[in-house]
Amino acid sequence: MSSQNVLRIENLGHSYGKFKVIEDISLAIHQGETSALIGPNGAGKTTFYNAISGKFAPTRGKVLLNGEDITGLPAHRVVDKGMCRSFQITNIFSELSVAENVFSPLIIQQKKHFKLSGNIYRDKAITEKTMHTLEQVGLADRADQVVANLAYGDKRLVEMAIVLARDPSVVLLDEPTAGMNPEETENMIALIKRLAKNSGTTFFITEHDMKVVFSLAERIYVLHQGHLLAQGTPEQIRANAQVQEAYLGRKVHA
Amino acid sequence: MMSSTRRHNLLGPAVLCLVLLMAPLFIPTYWTMILSEILIMGLMAISFNLLLGYTGLLSFGQGAFFGMGAYSAALMLQAGYQNLLLILLVGILAALLAALIVGFFSVRLDEIFFAMITLGFGMLFFSIAHNWLDVTGGSDGLPVFTLPSVKFFGSELTFYTPINMYYLVFTLVLVGIILLWLIVHSPFGLILTSLRENKQRVAFIGGNVKILRVVAFALSGAFTGLSGVLFCLFNNMATPEFMHWSFSAKPVIMSIIGGTGVFLGPLFGAAIFFVLEQVIIQFTENWMLFLGIVLVPIVLFFPQGVFGTLRNRFFKQGVK
Amino acid sequence: MEILLLNTLNGLSWGMLLFLISVGLTTVFGVMGVLNFAHGSLFMLGAYLCMQAMQYFDSFWFGLLVGPLCAVVIGVLVEKFLLKRVYDRDVSYQLLLTFAVLLILDDAVRMIWGSGYHVVEPPAILNGIMTIAGQDYPVYRFFLIIIGPLIGGLLWSFFHFTKWGKIIRAASFDNIMAEGVGINVPLIYTAVFALGTWLAALGGALAAPQQSLIPSMGEKIIIESFIVVVVGGMGSFPGAFVGALLLGLLESFGTVFAGRLQMAIPYILLAVILLIKPNGLFRKGV
Repeated sequence: MSSQNVLRIENLGHSYGKFKVIEDISLAIHQGETSALIGPNGAGKTTFYNAISGKFAPTRGKVLLNGEDITGLPAHRVVDKGMCRSFQITNIFSELSVAENVFSPLIIQQKKHFKLSGNIYRDKAITEKTMHTLEQVGLADRADQVVANLAYGDKRLVEMAIVLARDPSVVLLDEPTAGMNPEETENMIALIKRLAKNSGTTFFITEHDMKVVFSLAERIYVLHQGHLLAQGTPEQIRANAQVQEAYLGRKVHA
Repeated sequence: MMSSTRRHNLLGPAVLCLVLLMAPLFIPTYWTMILSEILIMGLMAISFNLLLGYTGLLSFGQGAFFGMGAYSAALMLQAGYQNLLLILLVGILAALLAALIVGFFSVRLDEIFFAMITLGFGMLFFSIAHNWLDVTGGSDGLPVFTLPSVKFFGSELTFYTPINMYYLVFTLVLVGIILLWLIVHSPFGLILTSLRENKQRVAFIGGNVKILRVVAFALSGAFTGLSGVLFCLFNNMATPEFMHWSFSAKPVIMSIIGGTGVFLGPLFGAAIFFVLEQVIIQFTENWMLFLGIVLVPIVLFFPQGVFGTLRNRFFKQGVK
Repeated sequence: MEILLLNTLNGLSWGMLLFLISVGLTTVFGVMGVLNFAHGSLFMLGAYLCMQAMQYFDSFWFGLLVGPLCAVVIGVLVEKFLLKRVYDRDVSYQLLLTFAVLLILDDAVRMIWGSGYHVVEPPAILNGIMTIAGQDYPVYRFFLIIIGPLIGGLLWSFFHFTKWGKIIRAASFDNIMAEGVGINVPLIYTAVFALGTWLAALGGALAAPQQSLIPSMGEKIIIESFIVVVVGGMGSFPGAFVGALLLGLLESFGTVFAGRLQMAIPYILLAVILLIKPNGLFRKGV
């Protein structure tokens, strides 16, 4: 059982001083499953994400990735262990080209980041993997463009490529469709579905847009006032009276 | 599609090299000396720009490493060491070591805080150089009376004439600049640029921001040390002023004048700086006043530096 | 015992001057986010303008009043025509621009008043020696020790009890918020820079009778006030006060216990504080 749990959170909690932002969160995510964390604003989603991805160490509880305890490791070590994340506000290297954005994680993954000479464009291991990643997200034709000049939706795709480049076993996506127009949102949903199906990547997303959540997630966790209120399949969550009351009701049927 | 290799235009640098190689044949000795100074300070500015332009760190303490190079050279020459390679090596290592220590403590800070702590460390080195009379000669500095010579095709080559000194400086600055160019265009260089663009993202793709920055800082310090050794040989002197914050401000000024976004920008900035100085002191003693007056429009109207802005205007579209 | 008293008094009087110029620097940084390299030159300018006005009116007090106000005019021009354009630019550009202003002001003063020393006599009432606890001490320095907290208290009241003071404090926390509630931000920036300039120039005018005037007097004090501002916490009013006194006393006692290392004390203090509390003593982490 536990071997299937690629990501396991045990009794996770985080406080700022006396104020408990999240408390006693336990969940287990299966290999290859796409799950979503939802909850109203201020429920503690961002804190939860930051605490498990190494932005800061949680004050209580454990994070296990592929059975290994990664609690409190700094961000770069969490990435090394195989979990990579995106951010609500696009977090990329604006003045670099699309290809260069993807080079960076690969250079680090292949431990070439202290290599003081040599042309990256001639490094087949890196360029081929970069092109492969860009093809996956549909940016291959824009590899040479400077990211700052891209449309917003494409910038989000660049971040996706950066996150995927190192083939992480778990990908955390913090509101992947935030700020996107309907078409871009459709694209992103299709992309995540395709990636989950084709490469077996485990996605764990937070999202405000319930349409996105219900079209993607196989399992949903509901966070409310720092606690895990409910978890289950989309159908179970839709039917859950508590969730309806706390948060969902109006939004889903609106 | 991604172009398989990025083409670098090497024609400009080649022409520049040729011009610098031939220049002493056509210009007065005095200007040959100015040219030596431009090259030395240009190397310091390019090393500094590895931090500002590529890594996004504003160091205001580069003088400390310049001084480490200069004092090491002066101390070795006074002690009778005559091997040029050894002097270069020790000077560079001393600067590297100092930069490692300063970097270790400083890189956790950003922006203005980083500028302030490096300024503080630089002034700490200055205070030591200024007050440790027995070793550094205090405010008088350390004079150098003999210069190392090298064997060149069986004959002994000395550097007491400005022309010979110029070619020594030219050769070593060229080597330094080529090495820095390789670094900037290496995988490490791309990671540095990524750090400048978004240090949080670098951490979240697995990069250890602190160690990467320390290495960048130490490398910058080492090349700054090389320029310090050269300046000591050129100037026959190591003085505490090298470590003062006002000296550390020079590579900042030169880089921003020339353009931090262009590899050779800081070298052009150094050239503009010294030529301007020479022109202005023909007319007035108040060179600082005019430097200030020239700096204001450069800062206001040349956001990518003189060289960078002109290049972007005439040769290619900039970003945005 | 005598050494203790003497060094305490010296440290306090120097600390008060440091406070006056640092509090202006820190307020400007807090509100506008610009660390002003030329702040020390405004201090120096204040001293020279005070001297000039003093000769003109034949009164130290007039000099103290008029000199700093003249400096404010220059400060406002600098803000309106130069600084305004770089608020949204990179830190390095802001530092370089204010450094250019420093170069211009220093050399301009050198052209007008010469590069030699000038001496300003304190007014008769503050001239001479007094005895404190059996220790002879210059009256003027004692005057500085008193006037420092006085001006500090007035400033503090201004920030806490007047409408303008409250607006400035709000702006220093979040200038976007200030704009949102209809406060004229550009006007505040100019006003704050004028206030900062006035404080620096007043510090210079007050320092004039205590130290000789030379054009480079601003360059030494700017670095020390940078240190005070960083140590106290950038943008923090109490931080500037505590930082200035701390540095003043450390430097004063440094002459006793640190010997030749005395010169290094400010930088050691800076490095230690930045390493232990990177945000300074009085600024909470973000």
